[in-house]
Amino acid sequence: MAYSFYPGCSMEATGKAYLVSLEAVSHALGLELKEIPDWNCCGATVSANAIGDLPQLAMTARNLALAEPAGNDIVVGCSSCYLNMAWANEKFKTDARFRSQVSEALGAAGLKYEGGLRVRHLIDVLVNDIGLDNLKARTIKPLAGMKIACYSGCQTVRAIRRRDFDNVEYPVMLSRIVEALGATPVPFPAAARCCGGSQQFTRVELIHELTGYVLETAAKNGAEAIVTPCPMCHMNTDVYQAEINRVKGTNYYLPVFFLTQLIGLAFDLKPKDLGFSFNVVSPDKLFAKHNIKN
Amino acid sequence: MSAANEQASRFDPGFAREFYALENGEYAKLCMQCGLCAVTCASREFMDLPPRKLFKLVQAGDKEAVLQSQTPWLCTSCMTCTVRCPRGIPIIDVMHGLKYFLIQQGSKAPVALMSKIFAENMLRRGRVFELALTNSFFLKAYGPVGAIPIALKMRSVGQPMLLKGRLPLKPPKKIKGLDQVHKIVKKATEVMKREGHQDGV
Repeated sequence: MAYSFYPGCSMEATGKAYLVSLEAVSHALGLELKEIPDWNCCGATVSANAIGDLPQLAMTARNLALAEPAGNDIVVGCSSCYLNMAWANEKFKTDARFRSQVSEALGAAGLKYEGGLRVRHLIDVLVNDIGLDNLKARTIKPLAGMKIACYSGCQTVRAIRRRDFDNVEYPVMLSRIVEALGATPVPFPAAARCCGGSQQFTRVELIHELTGYVLETAAKNGAEAIVTPCPMCHMNTDVYQAEINRVKGTNYYLPVFFLTQLIGLAFDLKPKDLGFSFNVVSPDKLFAKHNIKN
Repeated sequence: MSAANEQASRFDPGFAREFYALENGEYAKLCMQCGLCAVTCASREFMDLPPRKLFKLVQAGDKEAVLQSQTPWLCTSCMTCTVRCPRGIPIIDVMHGLKYFLIQQGSKAPVALMSKIFAENMLRRGRVFELALTNSFFLKAYGPVGAIPIALKMRSVGQPMLLKGRLPLKPPKKIKGLDQVHKIVKKATEVMKREGHQDGV
């Protein structure tokens, strides 16, 4: 199956483990991901504050225009990129005024988008195109007994205000994938709660509280690790875990995985190809407990 | 002037019209004060005004309270309020419009600074260089000397980021179509301003 692939800026830096493990997993699954040629930053949600919503969505639409000639669905892994691309695409298709405004902006750069593409989150593709049965069949080393908090994150499930991808309040698709890999999703009411997003520099107390709540809920429900598809959720739960422990006097020790890192483990891919070296909370103890060689 | 008159003089119906003319500002008209956003918001405990109250004050024309509120700066764009609002108000988009306005007015809020630095960084190469983003923010927010104690306080975050290779030292390559991005943003800004006037009440 061939797709146009939008990595986004984070996947090439703070979320590098995601890109590395996605490459390994897509190879194993025969997913053909062709990077959108010369793609640009989607602007996250923060740049709209500085340049305005329309300019930001129009900039995002450049990526849609560049991907359209290939004619394939676009796959996005980063939840914030997905929010912007899926929303720009949806609005382009359903809002005639927006369509003409964005077309005018793209036209100024000699580009054109016809609205012929679908923008899909990686989780959607894994569940609906690859299929849970296939993921299960491909699993060589089931993650049996591993208790996981499935942290979908907020923007992942709320990007499109159309509810045919996952439940906006109680997302389930990530848990289904984790189950297919043989692991056990723990009850996790914080699955779609906000981690505080990009407020790490601007309001760190927000991260302490919001990410703190996510960690607390995971620990309370017996999780040994957290899995997420979102680079921002990953950063806040993994990189900020020590900082949250310091400020709140807690003692969490929860390795945080990108979804594709867990899939790769279950597929028995080489751990060195799954980017564990980028994880701040070391997964070594967890791996030892479950007889996984890192 | 009595206290009651002073209170009354704060309200300016002109401000409500000004607000509705902002990008996405017209949605604020739709708020019926049900309060679902207020109980939903992840950052509500940090907010001085829940979104519900902010919209009420917009409708009443309390310019001072709206412009000084911390609420827009605490919005993390998690979209929970947006998917739950029974009137279908895209609340995060309204917040974007308000923040854009406040930034144009010269706001000194940390998120205003962050948003500007992010946009500049992104428009320099077409992709974001996260290390430069971090450095520019701290230097501009605290100055070269002031940034040191912050960096020390946050070393449990910064050190592993660098040691684990999560903040590459090399910037991403400039995209080939950078000029296209700039033209798109320029044209869309013109369109936004043009449409903004048409939307005004």
